Amino acid sequence: MGGKVIVIVRVIVAGVFLVAGVMKIWDFEHARSATPDFTIAIQQYRMLPWPDLTVALAVYLPWLEVTAALALFVRRFALGAATAVLGMSAMFVVAIGSAWWRGLVLDCGCFGKGRAPTDLRLHLLAGAVLLAVAAALIVHEWRRARRD
Amino acid sequence: MIARLLRQLAFVLVLALAPALVSGAWQLAWKKEEPLAPGEVRLATAREWGDKVQWVDARSRAKYERTHLPGALLLNEDEWDTLVKPFIDEWDSDKTLVVYCDGGTCDASHAVAARIRKELSIPDVYVLKGGFAEWEGK
Repeated sequence: MGGKVIVIVRVIVAGVFLVAGVMKIWDFEHARSATPDFTIAIQQYRMLPWPDLTVALAVYLPWLEVTAALALFVRRFALGAATAVLGMSAMFVVAIGSAWWRGLVLDCGCFGKGRAPTDLRLHLLAGAVLLAVAAALIVHEWRRARRD
Repeated sequence: MIARLLRQLAFVLVLALAPALVSGAWQLAWKKEEPLAPGEVRLATAREWGDKVQWVDARSRAKYERTHLPGALLLNEDEWDTLVKPFIDEWDSDKTLVVYCDGGTCDASHAVAARIRKELSIPDVYVLKGGFAEWEGK
């Protein structure tokens, strides 16, 4: 991948994860924590059997998104950050795919609380693109790390 | 190389844990209370939403006519077919739906919320934790 292309890809991926993370941490519209809303969003997927795990995920995942997004720009941690992005993208694809398969109607909670049902097929496609881009980033970082 | 990848990944995971722990301790004071079931919301949270909330009364008509939450619309399972049309007409789609029943062990609110999500394709529906009893107790 060309140098400029990889920079653009990195900025886009980091931007998506940074915005998604921040909006799950803080609800700017109501000036309050967004954690309760994100907890409910996760619950609506009906995939986790333990409420405490749901809450823990609702607190941790947004910060992981923010940290991974920022770490993508730190050469020493870019490979790990890209791997974290790949993992979160895979989790997203599995969750959305499962919801679509089970015919659930829900708000994906991708960028905080939404107001309309999520188009699951569209989000599945977006997740697959993210997954592919994250994989490409890992390959790039892997090659760069071997050169270093 | 794999070791380097895992080391970096571990660093990112741990680095994210620090603000998450601080944020969790600060944000989740409400967690000390009884855990919320899927789709439930606490009265305090719904009150924070202010006039963006549309209360939905899932109790019987008799109970609704006796007393109900301010501006609540009646929509229960017994009269679903009759009530659903006026409900849709009156509901302002900018408002978040919060369904309640008596409180305690009643599950009419969960049933009505599930039907609203499935049959009316409205995902933004919550059930008031503690129901009407919670409102009266405040």
